[in-house]
Amino acid sequence: MQAGEVPKINMSSWEVGESRYLPGMEIKRLGKERFVVYIGPQHPGSGHMRIIIKVDGDVIVEADPDLGYVHRTMEKLSEGRAFIKIIPLVERMAILDACNVTLPYVEAVEKLLGLEPPERAKYLRVALCEINRIASHLYGFGIFGVFLGHSTMYMWGFGDREVLVELAEKLTGARLTHTYPIFGGVRRDAPQNFTDNLRKAIRYLRKRLDEYRKIFLDNPVIRRRLEGVGIVPKKVAVDLGLVGPNLRASGVEYDVRAIEPYEAYDELDFEIPVFEEGDSLARAWVRVEEIKQSLRILEQIADKLDKTKGQQIMHDRFWAKAPPLYKKVFEAEGRVKLMPLFAILRVPKGRSFARTEAARGEITYYVESDGKDKPYRVRIVSPSFRNAIMFKYVIPGHRIADLPAIYGSFDYFPPEADR
Amino acid sequence: MPAKFVHKKTPKIGVLGAISRNASALVLGLKYFFEPNRFTLMYPREYIVLDKRYRGFIVLNKNKCIGCESCARVCPTGAMKMIKIEVPDPKNPGKKKIAKYPTINHQRCVYCGFCVDICPTEALYHVPVHDVVYFNLADMIQDLESFQKEPVSPAAAEGAIPVKYVFDPERGLVKVRVKEGEKK
Repeated sequence: MQAGEVPKINMSSWEVGESRYLPGMEIKRLGKERFVVYIGPQHPGSGHMRIIIKVDGDVIVEADPDLGYVHRTMEKLSEGRAFIKIIPLVERMAILDACNVTLPYVEAVEKLLGLEPPERAKYLRVALCEINRIASHLYGFGIFGVFLGHSTMYMWGFGDREVLVELAEKLTGARLTHTYPIFGGVRRDAPQNFTDNLRKAIRYLRKRLDEYRKIFLDNPVIRRRLEGVGIVPKKVAVDLGLVGPNLRASGVEYDVRAIEPYEAYDELDFEIPVFEEGDSLARAWVRVEEIKQSLRILEQIADKLDKTKGQQIMHDRFWAKAPPLYKKVFEAEGRVKLMPLFAILRVPKGRSFARTEAARGEITYYVESDGKDKPYRVRIVSPSFRNAIMFKYVIPGHRIADLPAIYGSFDYFPPEADR
Repeated sequence: MPAKFVHKKTPKIGVLGAISRNASALVLGLKYFFEPNRFTLMYPREYIVLDKRYRGFIVLNKNKCIGCESCARVCPTGAMKMIKIEVPDPKNPGKKKIAKYPTINHQRCVYCGFCVDICPTEALYHVPVHDVVYFNLADMIQDLESFQKEPVSPAAAEGAIPVKYVFDPERGLVKVRVKEGEKK
């Protein structure tokens, strides 16, 4: 081809390799009415992943989720880092759910060290976990709304999430990557007016949930798009190993907070909603009901934080021998100063498991230490990764227009799945 | 008191219910059309006066630093590095000794604040500023001089309106103007 010559594109050809489409929007013809459509990886939703679907007309006959676009080798990176440095690393899996995804790692290392955090530290951890859970669900609703063309829900979800992000900022000092739980306790005490602000936010969110129901969940337009779409029967959900709200929307009673309570969850009085239908609407409802229960938990936590005011939030092992300056800073600013040994913390030989219920489901950590200052192995099983398989089995049989409703209802978060 | 599982069903709405719910969604939309609950920060014209506890830019107080290297050791991203410089030795007047001080690379820093918390003499501290702009990448690698300077928010320096957000049970967050005397 000579310089300046425009390459000719044969517009009538659909053969493989002849690309007349923008990247990520290719279509391949398989038969008379059968095509392959690549959805993604340029942000089909809440992150980078691709669903390769085969369509017959506009009915999807095969779906293949293609993951791994945001894989960051977190497990391998962990093997070369001191124990404390892994906390800021793994929380980048799901920054809007930072406390929930780092907590099991901290718990696993605490088990190896033989530490039990003080009472107030447990309450503070639960407080941030629930703040994160609500924020994460609201984020999910925002994305879900914009998938369905309901941009009001998107604005509302993200706007109200700001209330929770602001609360988390007041507690930890950072809007998203809090790095809050740490071996033996938490890093900051709640500020003076934290519980008052928390109660105000709870009252506001209760009021807003009614409005969400009016404009989104009970909106007949939205209901038509969600009801009976993407049904996951109970048996399929169990066989494929779904976790979190997606599993509970199919009628399975499974929640780590109930079956294996961690931190202060066994002292709290709350319910875990389970829905029977298993369709997209049920998955949306289970999240709304979960937000209501999280608000209930936060209310109880606010009372408990008031009761335990001024108590220690760091384990004695790292706090009893702290110099006077450390205690002065804690009293003045509520900031826990770390003992220098944290940087070179040696964890006794052994292996441990820990799991928590993150906003999107159960997250499991396996930590193996060979007695050095770095872990031998850190294995992470994240909830989104376990839910991703569902796309393969749920999407076929639906029309292309139903795909956003199904994708959005799973609240799938690629960075969390890819790690 | 462990948590209980409660089985629920998604509420069903009939034809009449659909009509009334369509209407109530429209009414609610109209209500917010006339009375929007806005709290957008008009950034270059306004800026947030951040909390004292905010984990913003990190600054060194060289006089307190004892060169223990704890901060560089705990830094999860390797943003903090120790440098060696010659300083006058207080014990032997007229002679010099080697002292170690930390410097920071803001390209790598994730503001986790481990260095601030681990410093045994409180030589490092956060300033409640988060909107410093650098014109090239080399400026983000701080030397000992610039690491000791407290950065100033460019919006604040150009006379933007200071605001802060307060919690409100009716509106969630409300943007309030901060008066001159209230700034910490």
